Amino acid sequence: MLTPDIYALRQTFMQERILLSFNGPFTESLIDEIGSALREHMLALVESPSAITDVFSMYIEMTQNIRRYTMEHDLQGAAASAIIVVSRDSDGVYTVSAGNMVYHADGERLLARAQSLQEMDKVALKAAFKAQLRQPRDTSKKFNGAGLGLIDMARKATFPLRATLTVEDTDFSFFSLHASL
Amino acid sequence: MKDLHFTATTSTPDVDANWEAGRLRMGGDSYPENSFDIFQPVIDWLESFLTTETRPILLELSLVYLNTSSVRVLMDMLDILEEAHQGGRGVEVVWLYNENNERVGELAEEFKEDCTFPFHIRAE
Repeated sequence: MLTPDIYALRQTFMQERILLSFNGPFTESLIDEIGSALREHMLALVESPSAITDVFSMYIEMTQNIRRYTMEHDLQGAAASAIIVVSRDSDGVYTVSAGNMVYHADGERLLARAQSLQEMDKVALKAAFKAQLRQPRDTSKKFNGAGLGLIDMARKATFPLRATLTVEDTDFSFFSLHASL
Repeated sequence: MKDLHFTATTSTPDVDANWEAGRLRMGGDSYPENSFDIFQPVIDWLESFLTTETRPILLELSLVYLNTSSVRVLMDMLDILEEAHQGGRGVEVVWLYNENNERVGELAEEFKEDCTFPFHIRAE
């Protein structure tokens, strides 16, 4: 029988100024529900419609990227369990963070991609977004994204994206991404 | 071809395609995870109208938030309209948005950059 230390968990949530979080397998309906809760929470904080749109957009792009990856590789069990966290610091800066299990090589590729975006200014990011928008769609993949999510987050964020990769076992690494605005 | 009506859901917009009027309306949020599948019937309707009819087409948008795959789909639609316009077809786009959410206006402006047909962006 488990007795989770919810007091310690709560302390962590308070210290990290976490507004909202979920850890487990992401489903489409769950993403929608948590997203609605996020918007309502921000409305209650009297945030501007633009700020709500921006934070919501980070949340959607991160969770949908993870969903797509998990389905594409048919990940199960612990490998399909991901985390999303939205926090807000005392200056009102929101940080949307997400992490999931990825195959080592994919993790390296994602990390390199995030790092290349860190070096671009807003003009370069807009050009990269438009170039990606014009790429032919890869119809060979069943769970096809437009490949625009990371660039879009980098464009909307007011700080460079932060990404880390932690080796988990022989197959997987844990990829984490933070976007602040 | 008949008209097309989709009622909005949490993550998909209202769609109203009126063949007789030559008008396609879309409004609300659009962030389904499978945008390409969701919007295929709309793309089919648009292409069918443009190949069957010679009348002008009006695209009326009051979209609010679009995820990036919806952005990609909308760009595909505007490309179809651009090609029709280049072929001499009357094409017009009107995008209405709430003036309090400037992100929507910025997004509409970015789409407009790649279009040569009349593209009106109106804050309400």
